[in-house]
Amino acid sequence: MIKRLVIAAAVVMATASFAPAQEVDDLNIQVHGYVTQGFVYTTHNNWNTTDSTDGSPAWSEAVVNVSAQPDPRLHIAVQGRYFLLGTLTNQITLDWAQFDYKRNDYFGVRAGKVKTPMGIFNETQDIDPAQLWILLPQSIYPLASRNSDLSIYGGVAYGSVRMGGHMGKLQYRAFGGERVLASNDGYFQNLRDAGLTVPNGISGKTGGGSARWETPVRGLMVGASERSGRLNGAIMAGPDSGTIKLSQYRQTWYFAKYEKDRLSLTAEASRVQVKVDLDLTGLPPSFFLIDDHAFYVMGSWRITSKLSGGLYFGSTVDHKADYGDARYAKDWALAARYDFNSFLYAKVEQHWIDGTDIAFYAVNNDNIQPNTKMTLLKMGVSF
Amino acid sequence: MKDFGVEPMNQRVLFFLVFLCCGLFTQVSAAQVAVIANPGVKASEVSSADLRDVFTGGSSSFKDGSHVTPVLLKAGPVNDEFLTRYVGKSDAAFRVGWRSLLFSGQGVMPRSFDSEAALIEYVAHTPGAVGYVSKSSPHEGVKVLSVR
Repeated sequence: MIKRLVIAAAVVMATASFAPAQEVDDLNIQVHGYVTQGFVYTTHNNWNTTDSTDGSPAWSEAVVNVSAQPDPRLHIAVQGRYFLLGTLTNQITLDWAQFDYKRNDYFGVRAGKVKTPMGIFNETQDIDPAQLWILLPQSIYPLASRNSDLSIYGGVAYGSVRMGGHMGKLQYRAFGGERVLASNDGYFQNLRDAGLTVPNGISGKTGGGSARWETPVRGLMVGASERSGRLNGAIMAGPDSGTIKLSQYRQTWYFAKYEKDRLSLTAEASRVQVKVDLDLTGLPPSFFLIDDHAFYVMGSWRITSKLSGGLYFGSTVDHKADYGDARYAKDWALAARYDFNSFLYAKVEQHWIDGTDIAFYAVNNDNIQPNTKMTLLKMGVSF
Repeated sequence: MKDFGVEPMNQRVLFFLVFLCCGLFTQVSAAQVAVIANPGVKASEVSSADLRDVFTGGSSSFKDGSHVTPVLLKAGPVNDEFLTRYVGKSDAAFRVGWRSLLFSGQGVMPRSFDSEAALIEYVAHTPGAVGYVSKSSPHEGVKVLSVR
């Protein structure tokens, strides 16, 4: 918390320090934001700690972004978020706060609390106004755990290179820093269901990179990302305390996107491998392994300038988990979005979910069923 | 007025359609877009791919190395024509793209202007600025880029 405040304060003070030297208009200070309200109804299991089988509106977000650009190459910004989701989270957090110096198209750096550039959507997965979908494929972008995936305390080096001979353009991003999973992160919900808590969250060093190739085929981009690192922290089981350690953490992505006129097609595959060691006082040390294989394919179509629709199928299987419904999740989703104007939009989405690996917890489900249909509604306004 | 046998209600529909067609033709004829730049920008011509890259936040320079900053009109037929012809997006889709960059910390929303005169004034006095106006607007103090 103190680290977040220090970074936010540093960014704000840096922004203010330019003010005496330049007119406010020259700083290109901008304030933007958005507010969304969701509604979720499920036929069987309660979803993500909401009372969704009764229909739940406990899904709200408000985001404020303040940025300044004292020089065309320098960009300073801070973004805060209020996020309510069931009983999982109801708080204001610092999304990110950064200095961004772009020397030229070949090289730039960001430092502070920065978004983690992985996969196609990781940096933008929480930006509802930018997406057709209410939920991106949860097999790779789980809503309840996005905060710990979204950003790190550290830096990103980025740039792009035009390939010669009409070979397209290559974008690169390399990142490193500290990753923090807050105590209420969705990744810990299954531990909480088992009576274990992680009171201060866990944290550790992380690093990785991402490359995207805009191919000579107009509209076709392919890419890959990788992240590795270690995380550790304290864990409690009733009165007993101990440590939790995530080692041999490795996540890889491969993705492709094709856009032509009104059509957009995307496919992405990801694999996460982790070893989780638990060491509680008075008990013998134990560990378990996770090996999630996930993918999705999606297509969308801009029907008119205001109306878009799309369909995706996502799947994830934990190859180290016991056989059963909790080993996997398969999700068909059908979505539509209508933009009333440049600021106000509405979305509707229907899911057919098979398996319970994602977003269904014992904390508010007495008897988790293998299949669930889910209907989502969302309205948003951005400025 | 000679009665062509059209019911009053249908006459109103007919007038509306004629009016709509006139409006469409007026819009198309007014939307002759000129791409303008600060005189300090080295390039005198630019490819449509470069223009699309710059105006979608994918690049901050033209192929010849000129560092550029895009500026926009807030609305209107010239804005719509530019986005459709050179960026390949509707105004709504274009702004969705920039919000994606803005809220993920990858860019700052380009400056937008209510009038072409204000945009021309800004481009004329801001190194690297690139924008678009109607061809019929007087654009002293800026250079017009030809688009390949």
